Amino acid sequence: MGGPKRFFSVMFDHSPTPCVRVRSSTAAWVVRLVVVCSIGCVGRPISAGGTVDFRTDVRPVLAKNCFTCHGADEGARQGGLRLDTPEGAVADLGGRQAIVPGKPEDSEVLRRIFAEDADELMPPVDSRLHLSEEEKKVIRAWIRQGAVYDKHWAFIPPRRPRVPEVKDSSWLRNPIDSFILDRLENEGLEPAPEADRYTLARRLYLDLIGLPPTPEEADSFVNDPHPGAYTRLVDRLFASPHHGERWARLWLDLARYADTNGYEKDRPRSIWAYRDWVIDALNKDLRFDQFTIEQIAGDMLPNPTLQQRIATGFHRNTMENEEGGTDVEQFRFEAVVDRVNTTGTVWLGMTVGCAQCHSHKYDPLSQKEYYELFAFLNNADEPKLQLPDPETTRWRQETQEEIVRLESELEGQWPLEAGADGAEKVPEALSERLRAWTSQRAELASDWTPLRPEALSTKKDVELVLLDDLSILAKGAHPNSNVYRVELESDLPRITALRLEVLPHESLPVGGPGRMNFTINDRLQVGDFFLSELKVFSLPRRDSAEPIAVRLEKPTHSFANKECSAEKTLDLKLDTGWCVGDRAGKPHHVIYQFAEPLEADARLAVELHQIYIHGMTLGRFRLSATSDPLPVVASGVPAEVEAALVVVEGERSEEERWRIRREFLLTAPELSEEHERIEKLHKEISRYETTLVLQERLPHRGRKTHLRHRGEYMKPREKVECGVPAMLHAFPEEAPRDRLALARWLVDTQNPLVARVVVNRQWQAFFGRGIVQTTEDFGTQSALPTHPRLLDWLAIEFMERGWSLKHIRRLIAASAVYQQRSVVTPELLERDPENLLLARGPRVRVSGEMVRDIVLVASGLLTWEIGGPSVYPPQPEGITEISYGTLNWKTNTGPGRFRRGLYTYAKRTNPYALFGTFDAPSGETCVVRRDRSNTPLQALTVLNDSALLEAARAMALHELRVGPTMVEARIDDIFRRFLTRPADREERAAIGTFYRRQLERFRGGELQAADLVATSPEDAPPGVDLDEWAAWTVVARAVMNFDETITKE
Amino acid sequence: MDAFLSPEQLALRNGTRRHFFRDCGVGVGKIALASLLAGSAAKAGGATPGALNPLAPRRGHLRPRARNVIFLFMAGGPSQAELLDYKPELEKHHDQAPPEDMVKSLRLAFVQRNAKLLGPQFGFKKCGRSGAEISDALPHLREVADDIAIVRSMHTDHFNHAPAQIFVNTGSGLPGRPSMGSWVLYGLGSDADDLPGFVVLANDGTSGGAANFSSGFLPTLYSGVPFRSQGEPVLNILSPRGVDKKLQRESLDLVRKVNERRLGIVGDPAIASRISSYEMAFRMQTRAPELLELSKEKKETLEMYGAEPGKTSFANHCLLARRMVERGVRFVHIYLTGWDHHTQVKASLEGMCAKMDKPAAALVKDLKQRGMLDDTLVVWGGEFGRTPIIEANAGLGRSAGRDHHPKTYSMWLAGGGVRPGITLGRSDDLGFFPVEDAVHVHDLQATILHLLGIDHEQLTFAFQGRDYRLTDVHGKVVEKLLA
Repeated sequence: MGGPKRFFSVMFDHSPTPCVRVRSSTAAWVVRLVVVCSIGCVGRPISAGGTVDFRTDVRPVLAKNCFTCHGADEGARQGGLRLDTPEGAVADLGGRQAIVPGKPEDSEVLRRIFAEDADELMPPVDSRLHLSEEEKKVIRAWIRQGAVYDKHWAFIPPRRPRVPEVKDSSWLRNPIDSFILDRLENEGLEPAPEADRYTLARRLYLDLIGLPPTPEEADSFVNDPHPGAYTRLVDRLFASPHHGERWARLWLDLARYADTNGYEKDRPRSIWAYRDWVIDALNKDLRFDQFTIEQIAGDMLPNPTLQQRIATGFHRNTMENEEGGTDVEQFRFEAVVDRVNTTGTVWLGMTVGCAQCHSHKYDPLSQKEYYELFAFLNNADEPKLQLPDPETTRWRQETQEEIVRLESELEGQWPLEAGADGAEKVPEALSERLRAWTSQRAELASDWTPLRPEALSTKKDVELVLLDDLSILAKGAHPNSNVYRVELESDLPRITALRLEVLPHESLPVGGPGRMNFTINDRLQVGDFFLSELKVFSLPRRDSAEPIAVRLEKPTHSFANKECSAEKTLDLKLDTGWCVGDRAGKPHHVIYQFAEPLEADARLAVELHQIYIHGMTLGRFRLSATSDPLPVVASGVPAEVEAALVVVEGERSEEERWRIRREFLLTAPELSEEHERIEKLHKEISRYETTLVLQERLPHRGRKTHLRHRGEYMKPREKVECGVPAMLHAFPEEAPRDRLALARWLVDTQNPLVARVVVNRQWQAFFGRGIVQTTEDFGTQSALPTHPRLLDWLAIEFMERGWSLKHIRRLIAASAVYQQRSVVTPELLERDPENLLLARGPRVRVSGEMVRDIVLVASGLLTWEIGGPSVYPPQPEGITEISYGTLNWKTNTGPGRFRRGLYTYAKRTNPYALFGTFDAPSGETCVVRRDRSNTPLQALTVLNDSALLEAARAMALHELRVGPTMVEARIDDIFRRFLTRPADREERAAIGTFYRRQLERFRGGELQAADLVATSPEDAPPGVDLDEWAAWTVVARAVMNFDETITKE
Repeated sequence: MDAFLSPEQLALRNGTRRHFFRDCGVGVGKIALASLLAGSAAKAGGATPGALNPLAPRRGHLRPRARNVIFLFMAGGPSQAELLDYKPELEKHHDQAPPEDMVKSLRLAFVQRNAKLLGPQFGFKKCGRSGAEISDALPHLREVADDIAIVRSMHTDHFNHAPAQIFVNTGSGLPGRPSMGSWVLYGLGSDADDLPGFVVLANDGTSGGAANFSSGFLPTLYSGVPFRSQGEPVLNILSPRGVDKKLQRESLDLVRKVNERRLGIVGDPAIASRISSYEMAFRMQTRAPELLELSKEKKETLEMYGAEPGKTSFANHCLLARRMVERGVRFVHIYLTGWDHHTQVKASLEGMCAKMDKPAAALVKDLKQRGMLDDTLVVWGGEFGRTPIIEANAGLGRSAGRDHHPKTYSMWLAGGGVRPGITLGRSDDLGFFPVEDAVHVHDLQATILHLLGIDHEQLTFAFQGRDYRLTDVHGKVVEKLLA
């Protein structure tokens, strides 16, 4: 447990001489008194008699050693003592007071921490916590000073600080520089000189659009003699549509974007429209407050646009557990937990997740407040939204027209039969068959009346919606099993039998009638349902009387999958029942005869028990009754045909006759070949793309939120209402307590955190580290800002300039501090190894996606298209074996093969290997800060990955065909495509030697060019020398592996 | 370079960089390796050697009993009642309804609470001097009965595969936390500088996927590295077709030359780290293929395991694990998928045990013969057990199976400081709940770390404002398991 929190900390201080101090875990104060820390300022001496700072000196000690038992968590609190608030510290505890401000000798705390007796000592011996002598002295000094609890800096709203005066104002480009230089001057340091133009070009391209410049693009900047060249380049890059792609990737890390559902099954999902929305919003520079509101609650805006609804995909990126036998509601709970925690991280920079199980140990956030936030996000349904597009609409229409055409031609396809006289007698043969069929079917038909449902209820959460035709559609949550209960009234004179129709609907998987959304085997098929038992009760008119079970008998079905039947819905066995297997997309029905008819004015309750797994519940169904005399059986034809069949022949309308004729033609075995053709079209009918969104539930379906003991789903406790943490800005009195108001509250200018948190992330993207290093945590355990006033200045600037992200990025890109060289001298490295003071430019390895993008641009392979469904670039065979089931990785062969990393299909349990190796997240949790590791596996990847080699090969071919002809010029070109800058003499010479050696080996037959660049010599493009191609390929491959290629200098 | 490190780690790294920079003029290669992702030393007993290299071997807080771990993970959840936890009472009450109070609190994945009891499908025998009761399905394991410790009172919090697997591996049912192997590597470093310190071998995909061996929020270099059965053994370990060793070396020399030159100009130690990463990559390329040459093993050894060079099998994986441990790999995680016996538990177990029993027992024997068992901990078990009640579902075509059961299940451990020849814990007569010496997954994790010399409460990593550990805020070392 608890190691020291801040071994090395940069002090947050508005005092004129900010400084950096070092502390050690064991002898903190000794070290502080004597150590000259690495940045070269002497720690502010705290000796007996000196002053201590609550926030930097005292609070961390209390937090680490005391708050676990004497903090905000009432559940864990010992002895009724609370030390994290001034009220708690001075509370009267039976004549004793933990802290008496100004009087250490009267303070119980002091007596206990200095106690000799092990029973008295605090922290207790068995806690494994231990206060050093120096730490004890600090507490004493603080109490003597008056024991003032200063509020944590990040919870105090920022104010715009004065821009500091500096000595050397000639260096300044904008106010950012004043803050940085002010600090440097205080440290006695100077900024580094401006980087050369090649470096600047590459740095700007990588930061602003995430792609390297081509040599031509770099040259046009390098050779621009006019003033303002830099600004013009910045403007051009900000206007580029690729800007949104670059910055979307960072946001998608926060949004935990992925293309699969996660957990065991990890099945595909379609939510790329959300990813495209982010790209577009960032390109448009949608105000960050609006950007926030649309993502958190776009569905609740007045008349939301399609785009605003797509934006709510932000919180649909949570995972979904589709493993068999799960409790779906439990994983919905986990998803909401993720939404609360992610919201806290992204907009508040708070580790609110700590309060899921108990009140936060360090920050002022109670467990109750956690669930109050939870309540805001707990009231949405999670539908799929169709994305109509004209192209698909056209295709659908055409297919449907084609189906209608084929149906209308069925009659003409009736097989020819020779009559007795040898003449063909089609019409006669057909009409004879039709007549026979009709009368046969009419025998089976009964007169059904759909019953109007009066009340609908379900055992598990799902929304049942009554449609105009009195059928019922299931929407929203999708539990593994369920019981639907429908209460019905009938004005039939009597009821002899009941019909349950299960019906297709376009919102259901492959049209329904069930909600099963994937196929596992022939028992578990997409679009199917599984009805275990059906029960009917007669409801007495008097409320007090008990419902009476109606005895059902002789059930029949129109169709049943193997081993299933209508009968099995009455056998009282929950693992047997009725389903229809692969006959999805069509209506089916079962009929139950009543052993004793119900008399007039019956009130019925029908229970549909669907106790199964994998969410095989009904999607759409309808209940009807008949008064016909028994027997009543399943007719096997759709309801509207059956209704026509019960009409006496001769009294049927034209339309009724048409219905019967059509059904006959669609089922007559004589036309089975034509049916197959029609069936095929039905299956092929194009569907609209969909995306996942949030949809707030109507008030009558509102969910209740309960505090969960220890954060456990299975332990609900008291009910809580929507609310925000008391330590933050107030929730507007008049606002409704809903998700939309929460979104607005998050981006309220009174929020002390949001602007700081957001500008800090922008800073991190440029410099590789935030002004607050713990980008995800601004709470009391966070790292202190290196430049607190700059952070506040940027936060205010951000809000006052219309929450414009581009404005903040532009300020950073335009600053002198950003344009410095990244070269570091040994002296400076010694003094500021982490580049906290920014006396030099940033130098960081690029992200995994950028590694690939750089290679694709350099080799000329990149497909520049923006947006659309995710793609499947090549990856090594066997890569998918580590995750469950088979991953159908349909490697693209066309342009999709070479799209930006952002568009690579992201499978959570098996992320794209190259990206994972370079620290890209899996999309399972919100990631604010990627690791930037440096491992042998990365080396192996860039050296040996087949997709990267493919790019080296393409580059070599390009050089041979259209590149310069001289060897040295070719080397230059390859070098510049990867590194932007020209090679120096030594580099050029080394590469040249390498090239000539390898060419010689290929020519001499020591190496086989065909192995490397083509499967056979015939595959080589005409006029290309295979050996040269191979030699240039290995040159390109080597240059690709230079450290500088994958580094932003 | 700037991995998220705790402040202490940052300080360590600062020290490292200074140290490095002074020395980098002389022999970049060697020293750069030391600075590879500098810092990140665990707060392990104040052990400082890690300060120079995050993968450098280091001591934990306690005297270690084990140096390495081989975890045989039986993915799917093997049935304890058929393998290690004999229940004569269950046999007696076969086909009867279970007592109401036993089933009322169960959360079941597929079966209904009123399902009947299913008696054990295999006979058991007391074996060895220890008299451990082991099933007829495990004849080979009986031969090492005196070398293993059986735990019959395991229990876990999750009853679905993915969360339960991730729970055993990371201490949390949700993805995102570091896996046990990553924690161990972070705490102890690696003894191998030409192989990954944490290796994953699998016969098939696992429900938990990559989260089972992810480094979570620990630096990426502590991630488990999957050795694959198709294609290359380790992703990208082979040079492309047409690139021979000489060309690979000369390419690396060119890369190194340019990188060194750049280092001289720019002065960023990250470049030195890059250089050393490439050197280690080259060594791995040389070393990994040799590791995989099972044909170099003696015939008797191959036969003992039932290993056949060139195939993908659990037997090969077990043998490979021994070879890895010999070469300094700290943590080998072998997944054998296929224990999710919802139907026909008897026949299904026969099939799985035929693949598993002989190699697993051979691994214990082989390690013992070679004197390696003392400091290699072998752990066998799944993510949960299976119900004493039957799973039969006509609609799903299931009969005579068992559902997921998180409340009680069995595992065994061997070597590495584990007390041999004991059977720990007891479940009730029907096998629903532990009644004696219950061992929770967090306790198992605490014990594994303890055997490696790590105090599970001290091995922490600061992330998002708090110190995280493998065992969350739980876990007690199971003293009775210790030799």
